[in-house]
Amino acid sequence: MISGYLPCTRSTLIKLLSSATLLLAINAQASDLPERQVSLMSSSCANCHGTDGKLAGAIPAIAGRPASVLEAQLLAFKQDLQPNTTVMNRIAKGYTDEELKSLANYFANVKRK
Amino acid sequence: MSNKNTNFSTSRRRLLKGLGMVGLLPAIPTIAANTSGHAGHVIVVGGGFGGATAAKYIKRGNPKIDVTLIEPNSTFYTCPFSNLVLAGERSLDSIGHSYEELKSVFGVNVIHAFAEDIDGVAHKVTLSNGSVLSYDRLLLSPGIDMRWNAIEGYDEAASEKAPHAWKAGNQTLLLRKQLEDMEDGGTFVMSVPADPFRCPPGPYERASLVAHYLKQHKPRSKVLILDSKDNFSKQGLFTSAWKDIYGDMIEWVGVSGDGRVVRVDADKREVETEFGTLHSASALNIIPPQKAGFIADRAGVTNESGWVPVNPNTFESQQVADIYVVGDATLAAPMPKSGFAANTQGKVAAAAIVASLAGITAPDPYWANTCYSLVNPDYGISVAGVYKVEDNQIITVPGSGGLSAADASLEIRQAEAAYAVGWYEAITQDTWGTQY
Repeated sequence: MISGYLPCTRSTLIKLLSSATLLLAINAQASDLPERQVSLMSSSCANCHGTDGKLAGAIPAIAGRPASVLEAQLLAFKQDLQPNTTVMNRIAKGYTDEELKSLANYFANVKRK
Repeated sequence: MSNKNTNFSTSRRRLLKGLGMVGLLPAIPTIAANTSGHAGHVIVVGGGFGGATAAKYIKRGNPKIDVTLIEPNSTFYTCPFSNLVLAGERSLDSIGHSYEELKSVFGVNVIHAFAEDIDGVAHKVTLSNGSVLSYDRLLLSPGIDMRWNAIEGYDEAASEKAPHAWKAGNQTLLLRKQLEDMEDGGTFVMSVPADPFRCPPGPYERASLVAHYLKQHKPRSKVLILDSKDNFSKQGLFTSAWKDIYGDMIEWVGVSGDGRVVRVDADKREVETEFGTLHSASALNIIPPQKAGFIADRAGVTNESGWVPVNPNTFESQQVADIYVVGDATLAAPMPKSGFAANTQGKVAAAAIVASLAGITAPDPYWANTCYSLVNPDYGISVAGVYKVEDNQIITVPGSGGLSAADASLEIRQAEAAYAVGWYEAITQDTWGTQY
């Protein structure tokens, strides 16, 4: 079955985020390393889902959808549990479960408009 | 070979990196400021998938950085979907993208001129309009140049009569005209180079969509692909679909079957292959061997291969400091020379440049790629990959990527064709933002 949130990894992420705010940078967005990391990782998704995952067309928008839904969907792609998938199964296998969770959280926090 | 300089900005970067470890500086914008008193000046040369994306993502990363984009054309015509224009399924306008959103929304300064020379030591770019610009960081997205005369008789003048159509725009229209003028029963001949070249599956998508046009309008005609290699991208998927959809209309000849074109007579529309076979064409498409765009040579970032070696973590040149290079011009295998790859390389380089100007470490790179090909407008196939750096090499993440399933249903092929259109809309929105 598809796993939901894992509290321990989430707290690890929070620790990483808070320690990273001590790092130097120009503005808040660029300031913490994990967010810059996830932001760069997420930018590949824009090539099919639009900048920040906001473009809805033949390929659905992913911005602003619940993190748990996005994460479950990504894990289902990765584990070949989603029938009739064309390419997302091949893409999702390129990321660890932790990375997929980070991506799900990232897009969940993007405002659609 | 290395002429890495130890100029002021490099030592300043080292200093800032050292300070960053300590983590005590409160007001980094002033510390990281360049001589102009801002967060730095980045010049981007080339407004295609790599350069336009990098310009936008540098401004998104830090709006205080001044970004100047140098691009001769006011409209960029994409190679992706230009095969649909060739086949009469799309207008050229529909694959044209302007720079208005980069200017008005992201504050990129766009100059329509050629970059003619680069002095990597002095950090200066000379433009065709005579001006000389200084940069803190330079990003080149030079695309490809043709190796004229690598095939005897095929120079720039010959490309007006036997178009390559491997840069979209007027070349696409020239080849379209030959296809339209072709008689029923004629042969469309295409010459394809050995690896590496721009868009590995592109010639085979072109053959497919030309056949799609011919099947409807000139059904007794043929498509002959003369190839300088024995294996090609998505080969199994293409050849099986060609048989199903086009019967024996498309013939492919690999290098061991005497497929390598060595001489072109553009006036006669005739080619000669390695072992002396002559082929006459009703429409002649020569896709010649390629190399990195001219400005990469001027910048001193190419090596003996004609392409650009880069640091895989940042896409900074291995040969000249503070110059980053992305897209088809680079040696980035296993990533293909594709618009998708150029876009994601532009984002990695943009993040590295933003970090470098702030004196902090670049984030770890991530890239992905999906290349769709249309066998006809309702039949799509794809190859995908996710990439990372391991032991200072770019690798495909094990288990990721690969081809569309060989045994997929027609519904899946239709879905991939629809997703190809969705992909085009998304990537052009992400890169230029003007069309959709």
